[in-house]
Amino acid sequence: MAEKPQPVRVLYCGTCSLPPEYCEFGPDFEKCKPWLIQNVPDLYPDLVKEANEKEAGKAANQLKNTSISSGSDDGAASSAPKQEAVKRLPGGKVKKKEKQEVVIEKVIRNKRKCITTVKGLELFGVKLSDASKKLGKKFATGASVVKGPTEKEQIDVQGDISYDIVEFITETWPDVPETSIFFIEDGRKVPAA
Amino acid sequence: MFKKFSSEEVSAQNQVKASVQRKIRQSIAEEYPGLEPVLDDILPKKSPLIVAKCQNHLNLVLVNNVPLFFSIRDGPYMPTLRLLHQYPNIMKKLQVDRGAIKFVLAGANIMCPGLTSPGGALDEEVEAETPVAIMAEGKQHALAIGFTKMSAKDIKAINKGIGVDNLHYLNDGLWKMERLD
Repeated sequence: MAEKPQPVRVLYCGTCSLPPEYCEFGPDFEKCKPWLIQNVPDLYPDLVKEANEKEAGKAANQLKNTSISSGSDDGAASSAPKQEAVKRLPGGKVKKKEKQEVVIEKVIRNKRKCITTVKGLELFGVKLSDASKKLGKKFATGASVVKGPTEKEQIDVQGDISYDIVEFITETWPDVPETSIFFIEDGRKVPAA
Repeated sequence: MFKKFSSEEVSAQNQVKASVQRKIRQSIAEEYPGLEPVLDDILPKKSPLIVAKCQNHLNLVLVNNVPLFFSIRDGPYMPTLRLLHQYPNIMKKLQVDRGAIKFVLAGANIMCPGLTSPGGALDEEVEAETPVAIMAEGKQHALAIGFTKMSAKDIKAINKGIGVDNLHYLNDGLWKMERLD
C-alpha cells in the first residue's frame, strides 16, 4: 500500500475537551460558549448570532449612558462569565449543600440485639475516631467508625443507646445543637428535641 | 465502564515482552485491517509497549504513556476514542439519533430504538459481539465505543432493549486520562 491514511486532526474544545460538536451535550455548555464563538464560529451559528445581539445591545447601552471614553473597557469586563460558586456534578446537577445534622438510627440485629448508628457528627467538626472512643467508654460497649453507604463514615455503637445518646452528644460537643439531632423511626425522620 | 476511572485503578503496568507485543500487534491488525498501514505509526516497533492492568479485568495498551487500546477479559482490543477520532474509518459504525446523545454521553448503553429510528443508521454487516464505533446524527465524530449485544439484523428485528453495550464514551474516565504516568 503506497498511500497511508493520514490521521485526522481533531479539534477539541479548550474548555471541556470534547470535540466541539458535542459541547452542547458536555458538562457545561455555558462555559464553552466563549471558546466556541472564537474557535469554531460556523458550528453553532445560533450562538454567534446570540453573541452579536448581545454585543449590539451592549453597545447601544454604552452609547446611552457613557459620556467618558472608558466605556469599551468595562463592557469587556462585564461580559466575562461570573465565577460560579456551586460545584457542578456530572449531568449538570448542582450539588446540594450538606445539611448539618446528626442522624441516629437503631438497627435491629438478631432479633433482640441492636446497633445504634450515628451519622453526620463529622459535619460539626467532631473527630469520628475520638467520638467513637468516647461513646464506647460512656456506654461500655463496642463502638467503631465504619464506612457507611456512599463513602460516608458513621459510628456504629453496639446496643440500644438511643435513650440517652442525645444528652451525651449535646454535653460532650456543645457545638451540636439538640435541634439538629434526628432519630429515624419507621423510616421517618423525627427530631429528638 | 469507564464512568469512574482514574490512575488509581491501574494495579500494575509493565513493559511487555517482545513476543507479547507481537501478539498484541497481530490481534489489532486482524481486528482492524484498516489500521494496518499506519500501525507502525501508532505502535512504533522501537518504542516500548506498556500494558497496564486495571481492575475489572481491564487491560490498557500504552505507548509513550498514552492509552491507545483497551481490552476486557482478553477480549478484542478496542481503540480509545482519541485514537478513533484520528482514524475514524477503522471500525464499523452505528449511528444513534439525536435524542440518544445525551444519554450515551452519560454512560447509558445503546438501546435498539435509538439505532433504528430515522436519525440512526445501521451497518447491516455488524455481527453480535463486535466492537463498533457509535456515531451520532448530524455529528462528524464518534461519541462512544461499544460492543454489540446482537447483530444488526437482530437490532432491526427485535428493536427493543440494549443493542450495544457502551464501553467508552466522550468525557468518561478514560477520555479524561490523556496520559498515564
